[in-house]
Amino acid sequence: MSSPERAPAVVCEGLVRRFGERAALDGVSLAVAAGETLVLTGGNGAGKTTLLRVLATVLRPHAGTVSVAGHELPRSARAARPSIGYVGHEPLVYPDLTARENLELYAELHLAPPGSCDEALAMVGLERRARDRTADLSRGMRQRLALARAWLHGPALLLLDEPTAGLDAEGRERLAGMLARHGGAAVVATHEPEWFAGGRELRLEAGRVAG
Amino acid sequence: MRAYRALLRKDLLLELRGRELVPAMLAFVLGALLLVRFGLGGETQAGGTRAATGLLWVAVVFTSMLALVRSFAQEREHGIWDGILSAPIDRAAIWAARSTATLAFLVVTQIVALPLFWLFFLQEGRAPSLWVLAGALLLADLGVAMLGSLLAGLASQVHAREVLLPVLFLPFAVPLVTVAVRVTVDTISPQTSGFGTLEGLGFLALYDTIFGLLGWALFEYVVED
Repeated sequence: MSSPERAPAVVCEGLVRRFGERAALDGVSLAVAAGETLVLTGGNGAGKTTLLRVLATVLRPHAGTVSVAGHELPRSARAARPSIGYVGHEPLVYPDLTARENLELYAELHLAPPGSCDEALAMVGLERRARDRTADLSRGMRQRLALARAWLHGPALLLLDEPTAGLDAEGRERLAGMLARHGGAAVVATHEPEWFAGGRELRLEAGRVAG
Repeated sequence: MRAYRALLRKDLLLELRGRELVPAMLAFVLGALLLVRFGLGGETQAGGTRAATGLLWVAVVFTSMLALVRSFAQEREHGIWDGILSAPIDRAAIWAARSTATLAFLVVTQIVALPLFWLFFLQEGRAPSLWVLAGALLLADLGVAMLGSLLAGLASQVHAREVLLPVLFLPFAVPLVTVAVRVTVDTISPQTSGFGTLEGLGFLALYDTIFGLLGWALFEYVVED
């Protein structure tokens, strides 16, 4: 077996995840090499979000094998988590905390290095709004904050669910800059695959890899 | 420990800023005491010491339900669970932080409610042993907070959580409340022996130990989806 440091970012073999009787993922197999960007496309309900949530270790796989950064899930999920930066459908931040307080909380949970909050806020252009309650930020700004939150501990794998949603032109530029600086692997679920032209596209349909 | 401190700070900060739980808990417990006080028509000793103490603990348990039902509400309503659960932390730290925050809210509530309880129901009786009473309250509150936070985590994963939580919590709370009432009465009533009080405090400590260990060991699985 390869060491986690040199392992592929993601390997799935026959991954199944059900919600009740319905299989949201029905035998998905894929691999993402270190440094590669995989662009997941497909209609609503195709299984993109479920796949990202399994890879983010918040959902357990029901069958098949999954490994992230060389750590098998769910057995070694805790060891895999430092390698993961996850942007979900929601910004995953507390509305009553300020932007900075939210980042400081996640920095503590992820053991991020000192100064990472300032760097992340600057990267997404939220320095001036750092003291504002997250609830008072616009949809696009909350999305930028979500990107900063996923970035601040320097993960080797970014899992991005519709990262362009709500972003204006400047926000998209910031996202492009973030991905350019990242250097690690990324799995991106999107309805705008043209925006991630450098990545390898994979289409999901009804919980299966299409084609 | 770092995760526990960060999560506890967040829980306390959110309450300080939102003032969602403690004012509601205070309003409930004070309302319950006032209702019974005036419902009894000024007969402060009508039900005796044990009945009045039982009333206090029933009010405490139902007040704690207010905090527990709202426990993890932000994580649920804003989808924040995914962010917290994908962090590389021992998930028991989430439970420990929430238990500590709930304990703090209960203590604040009781600091206001207890003098009123004394004034309404017991001022003609013997002054209680304050240290024993404080010890019993703290042990019982800790049990309520640890058990309640574990069950609140479980209930947060299902749809009928507002119904499920009291159904799960109240049966487990019965032995705790029974012994807490006994110990509280012991601190007030002149007939009781110190041995009974120590036995009661020992039971409360054992209850806390059991649910502390269960919460620590099980919370990971409780929030697993």
